[in-house]
Amino acid sequence: MTNLALAATEEEKMERFMEKIEKGIKIEADDWMPEEYRTTLIKLISMHGMSEIMGALPEKEWVPKAPSLHRKLGIMAKVQDEMGHGQLLLRVAEDLLKPYGKTRGDLMQDLFTGKLKFHNVFHAETRTWGDAGLIGWLVDGAAIITQTDMLNASYGPYARALHRICAEEVFHAQHGEAIIMALAEGTDEQRAMIQDALNRWWNSLLVFFGPAAKETLGTSKQDVTIKYKIRTKTNEQLRQDFFTKYVPRILSLGLELPDKTMHYNEEKEVWVYQEPDWSELKAVARNEGARSQARLNLRRTSYQTNAWVRDALAATIS
Amino acid sequence: MSEKTFYQEYEVFSKRTPSSGFQHQFSLLAPNEDMAMIMAQENFMRREPVADIWVVNRKHIRGMNEEEKLTLNRLDNKEYRTAKGYGYLKKKWRKYEQQMLDEKEIMSWGGKKK
Repeated sequence: MTNLALAATEEEKMERFMEKIEKGIKIEADDWMPEEYRTTLIKLISMHGMSEIMGALPEKEWVPKAPSLHRKLGIMAKVQDEMGHGQLLLRVAEDLLKPYGKTRGDLMQDLFTGKLKFHNVFHAETRTWGDAGLIGWLVDGAAIITQTDMLNASYGPYARALHRICAEEVFHAQHGEAIIMALAEGTDEQRAMIQDALNRWWNSLLVFFGPAAKETLGTSKQDVTIKYKIRTKTNEQLRQDFFTKYVPRILSLGLELPDKTMHYNEEKEVWVYQEPDWSELKAVARNEGARSQARLNLRRTSYQTNAWVRDALAATIS
Repeated sequence: MSEKTFYQEYEVFSKRTPSSGFQHQFSLLAPNEDMAMIMAQENFMRREPVADIWVVNRKHIRGMNEEEKLTLNRLDNKEYRTAKGYGYLKKKWRKYEQQMLDEKEIMSWGGKKK
């Protein structure tokens, strides 16, 4: 095509790009985009995608140990969904990676070497069935808060993937609630089990949203993602939304908040809470969480064990 | 063969009922179209009703680039092509004590004999 558009300078392209962002016109994979937008999306979406895949592993541990056939079927469906979400998101990331000549295989290697991180909540142990319920209820609840914030993301393919994902997350959240409510209405021992799970997961749940200010950890992508309308709310706004939605529900089930000082300040309209221990996030970023290496090893082993399948299928099309 | 060439990109389309049109769902990676069909069901059709599925290798799709898409912008002077440009007839028919046969009316004529 020879026309004026080809002659557009980088500056003009940037101007046109920002105009689309401001007007709410979606950016598509083949459209021109600034490098910063592309790299921000790649980092965000590849981490999201790998977290779905790694996030299936803590729950998968409870498939053989689920207390009934019904519960086993439910948690298996959820594990399958998480892998499906990983497939969708890796596709979105791969199309963005094209100019760099990188593929899914490269992302997998980045995961193995520790260059590509996965969410803090998936590095922890799942000690009891209460943990399996709590992951569905509150970890998925936290993920729903961050993901629904991006349903109108400026990048079309990611927004469309999130629409599919969030629709299934509704089932995940209810699946988690069903486990938690059954335990909450059960014996003292069962109630103690979910209180113990809540106590152990609380720090990770707060850390999940990221620090309020970039000074906490030295880096933060929240300003860039808001500038390009990939997301709308800050880390702190999302954490506050999570409290507003879930604290009343936690209390209504007779559970206690692990943070005894926590309260809602009516005047300022904010939840006041104890700052979580951010060292957890630093440790998992180095893959030094309780189950980081075990889960990465499981992924490595299955990737290597299944290499022959990829080789065999490749042979038929060459 | 290296993994860089092993995967091929397929676009997935499906329809919810036998009478509805195909709708684009998403894309996936597969080594061949049979695997693409299996992956399409696994990835996108775990719950919703589905009557048919197409998988299309992306290399067979001729899309539009950003410049070409600009040619799709319409000038706002084509009312003579649409019913909107003839809306004034409603008033005129009223003079002859007739109702205008508008889109809603005409499109309701299909179907079974009354």
